[in-house]
Amino acid sequence: MIFKRGLSAALAAAVLSLALTAAGAAGVESPATAPAARKSPAASQERMKAWQAILAKPSLAVAVAFDEGGRLWRVANRDGYLLASHSDDLGRSFSEPRRINPEPEAILGDGENRPKLVVSRGVLHVSWTRGLSGPMTGDIRYSQSRDAGRSFSVPLTINDDRDIISHRFDALVADERGRVALAWLDKRDLQAAQQAARPYRGAAVYVAESHDGGQSFAANRKLADHSCECCRIGLASDVDGVPVALWRHVFVDAAGQPIRDFALARFDVAGQAITRASEDGWQLNGCPHHGADLAIDAAGRRHLVWFTGAAGKAGLWYRHGDGSAWQAPMPFGEAGRQPARATVRTLASRVVVAWQEFDGQNLYLRVMQSSDRGEHWTAPATQASTTQAADYPQLLVGRGQIWLAWHTAAEGLRLFALTPAPTP
Amino acid sequence: MKRMPHVMKLRVLLGLLGLLAWPAVAQAEAQVRPFVSGSLAAIRTAHAGQPFILSLWSIDCSHCPKELAALGALKKAHPRLRLVLVATDNGVPPTALAEYVAQHGLEAAEQWVFAGEQDERLRHEIDPRWWGELPRTYFFDAAQRMEGVSGLVPLQRLQQWATAAGR
Repeated sequence: MIFKRGLSAALAAAVLSLALTAAGAAGVESPATAPAARKSPAASQERMKAWQAILAKPSLAVAVAFDEGGRLWRVANRDGYLLASHSDDLGRSFSEPRRINPEPEAILGDGENRPKLVVSRGVLHVSWTRGLSGPMTGDIRYSQSRDAGRSFSVPLTINDDRDIISHRFDALVADERGRVALAWLDKRDLQAAQQAARPYRGAAVYVAESHDGGQSFAANRKLADHSCECCRIGLASDVDGVPVALWRHVFVDAAGQPIRDFALARFDVAGQAITRASEDGWQLNGCPHHGADLAIDAAGRRHLVWFTGAAGKAGLWYRHGDGSAWQAPMPFGEAGRQPARATVRTLASRVVVAWQEFDGQNLYLRVMQSSDRGEHWTAPATQASTTQAADYPQLLVGRGQIWLAWHTAAEGLRLFALTPAPTP
Repeated sequence: MKRMPHVMKLRVLLGLLGLLAWPAVAQAEAQVRPFVSGSLAAIRTAHAGQPFILSLWSIDCSHCPKELAALGALKKAHPRLRLVLVATDNGVPPTALAEYVAQHGLEAAEQWVFAGEQDERLRHEIDPRWWGELPRTYFFDAAQRMEGVSGLVPLQRLQQWATAAGR
């Protein structure tokens, strides 16, 4: 069995590696950078081959969002193309998929790094990470459609550092005021430090903003040094439209040990004055591959959900914060059932949190709700289950409701309307 | 041979290289076994009564190369060390993994790669309290009690364990 999989994966990798080689040289839209000038740190042939095989793996990841008219949009990743389609019957049937990127790309869709879709003012905004030739390298890509999905703009590479290093784990937000912003994890500072034989912890959070609905972006800005290297970023718009990011950071304790807890910052924070968002104290010299999610309600309250593996408190946590006043974190999920992949959304004074659990046999989609901005919560309920692999749970707002979407290998995409539940 | 055309020489050379490479490729493929449901039990059985290290790693893990390098150095210092490597890169060709691992001096280590089932199932079978963070190292003593460590294992701890296990 493994030989056959190895053979077909090798073939796919070979095809994709040709595309990657071409993309690596030519994936530059900015006229300021010469296509051939991309620096690439040395990596063994074997490691590159293995990386290309990872890129060639089929992806279960989908991104879903409602537009203002109640139409459901879906972006899926297949054979090097992102495909957009829509449904007017809440996901029972979808339109013929349209390609977003004109040329094939290695699109990361496994785990924490996955394509993003936001629909705002009728514009479809899509971001993704394109895997490059070197292991764990990537570019941040963005495209939009202004004609209801009939056509998509030529993808832009958002990171202005064009070395073949890691610019990955894109997060995307777009608001009704025409503001579009991306955040991602960027290793240009790590690379510079390595070249100067200086130590540097982790990676950095970089951002790029547009004030014209995503038609043009200002220069990249660094939001913070020393982020963790590969956990998803939570991103949401504050009430004044300024984006806010939540990411796993690498703090340092008194003994100089890396502590991988969470940090939060508005995009306009001065001088990297980031806020410590969790005090789990997870000391780890490794990769958690497990990030956080953030939602901000209409009154500016931040709602955070995250995972920690810290001894004695391993599992999922929720907290909310107003300005500098932070609630004590509240644990949720069954610790013995590998709770993971939490997501949070708000609608008026409702807050919904969804996550997955695994009991050794089946995966479960779990939900809890609050009707009073996160003060009180219903007991967790199981919304669905599956016997095979599942994508991350996604919460959407549309048609005046909160929805929960779950794409699973066995059942396909399922969409659940979450009616408000009375809280105790 | 002196008067053989260049093309022919090249063909002979390539043929010889192919013959030389084939056993290495075949060996690499056979060397990396698919880690599926039941594999941990098989590993335990194979090492019954002997202490061993089981190390989980991935190509897509920026800290893992350091762990592999440390384990390679450990294996060199303790040649009889029983080392089991399990890559979580489900679907990656075993040859690529084996060749990469060999670069760290670990070609003699027993190798596995996640295969077939979904990763949650395999992780849960190894340890329901492992959250998937990498590298993840399990120290099995002679009585096969397992102790898990997340992240890079301090070199001193590796050395102490290997020395004690060797007695």
